[in-house]
Amino acid sequence: MRKPKLDFINFSVILSLLIIAGSWFYIIVGQNASLTALFTGKNLEYAAKFFKGLFGVGVEDPAFTNRDSWSSALSLTLDTLQMSIMAIGFATVTMFLTVIPATRTVANGSLTLSKKRYSWISYGLIRVSYVFSRAIPELVWAMVIIFIFKPGILPGAIALALHNFGILGKLCAEVIEDLDKRPARNLASSGASKWQILMYAVLPAVMPQYLTYILYRWEVIMRTTIVVGFVGAGGLGQQFKMSMSFFHYTDITLLLICYIVLVFIADYVSEKSRNFVK
Amino acid sequence: MNKLSLAYELHKRKLLTLLLTGVFIWSLFAVQWSTGLIHGSGLATAGQIFGAMFQPDVSADILIIALESSWITLAYAAAGMSLAIILAFFLGIWASGVLASGAKSRYFMKGTFRSVLGFMRAIHELVWAWLFVASFGLSPYAAVFALAIPYGGILGRIFADMLNDVPKEPIQALESAGASRIQCLIYGYLPNVRANILSYVMYRFECAVRSSAIMSFVGLGGLGYQIQLSLDDLQYNEVWTFLFFLIGVVVLIDLWSSQLRRRLAL
Repeated sequence: MRKPKLDFINFSVILSLLIIAGSWFYIIVGQNASLTALFTGKNLEYAAKFFKGLFGVGVEDPAFTNRDSWSSALSLTLDTLQMSIMAIGFATVTMFLTVIPATRTVANGSLTLSKKRYSWISYGLIRVSYVFSRAIPELVWAMVIIFIFKPGILPGAIALALHNFGILGKLCAEVIEDLDKRPARNLASSGASKWQILMYAVLPAVMPQYLTYILYRWEVIMRTTIVVGFVGAGGLGQQFKMSMSFFHYTDITLLLICYIVLVFIADYVSEKSRNFVK
Repeated sequence: MNKLSLAYELHKRKLLTLLLTGVFIWSLFAVQWSTGLIHGSGLATAGQIFGAMFQPDVSADILIIALESSWITLAYAAAGMSLAIILAFFLGIWASGVLASGAKSRYFMKGTFRSVLGFMRAIHELVWAWLFVASFGLSPYAAVFALAIPYGGILGRIFADMLNDVPKEPIQALESAGASRIQCLIYGYLPNVRANILSYVMYRFECAVRSSAIMSFVGLGGLGYQIQLSLDDLQYNEVWTFLFFLIGVVVLIDLWSSQLRRRLAL
């Protein structure tokens, strides 16, 4: 019989099982959380009351049958949509400005056949900024940004863009790294400038993949818009938080309906346009 | 193919790019750029916040709190992911329709379970967390379930897609040898998708850590909770300590998963 080897994959499996076991142990024993305590009569009563509130049982004039509430919710939905588009737009623009120096094949000169001394420095700096912006969740960015900007959809868009800038940058730099180098080298050796290489060799080859990533991230941003709204960054989320504090449960239902419809529309549009460019 | 449709085929990517740029410019009109967008003291605050980045608070008690809340964040993420994997395994198999025998029942199963998965992931984890906290109080299970549902939806959908993309030949070989649907699943489909689904799970685990950090917003512990407390106290130096811990955890998991993915791809 073969002796079981402790290679990296086996080690990872054991480590992840240990982490999962440790987490459950910590939650059940360390934090004294018992699952049965969740389902006491009192909790069930609260939950029933809460869901009754959401569905507007026994409420006079629930928000989702009220015309005014609908029109204000729809205008918030439009705001949210614009915020998400602005966010992905900002992220895309900043990504395009930084992605070329952040590519390993450009930094070591194998793609453009020219090497500058500062190219490794700019590569490192931009890569660190990608990691940094990616590792911090949108909500935390929003909490910080709201200290600087006045509440509205702009801080929300900036917070969403800051997080997605790192993700898009990393994904898109990898696309350029995986490119077939021959067309770009060919252009470079026949005397094309950096911009000409970008326009004629790199962009046409990476565009379909970029569009896919951008549309996919837009879907994700759409889902997250509600969360950055929680800290005052405008749109459906802000109103959601407000209705939550006022215990206007039927308003929450209405906002959730708008949110889910928006997410489904975004999914549909992005899937259709991704198939369109394939 | 006539000239016009050829031109359309060649330029449709440019068309879409143009359309998307137009939509982006339209969205910029949503903000009134002329009025004050920044708080009166906004720029000074920005200076303080980013200045504090270079001098995070490294006193012992803050570091201990940071370590402890990093572990809470990681624990919620791991527990949530373990539930999400179980959910995704069953729902994904059902949603892929590989267990269905006839065309009609396959269509029905795919439709039903794909929309269940779609609903699970349409709602953001923080909204789920809020729903759970509002209905049964501040319990770690609220965080775990809130992570498990949307992540189960995403993983399940990807798992179902992968099962549908499995090449037909091995499955037909199994079928012609008389294997049942379950046997086809265990010996044909699952070994085919194993490496791909493992690397996707690792990628999602990294996202789960980030999501678990923001669960704090509804009052559940972890790094995000500490970040929020320090922000409310205007202790920017502490905020950066916790942020660096969060970045550290995420980067470590990122490194681990990229190493694992490289080895699984071989």
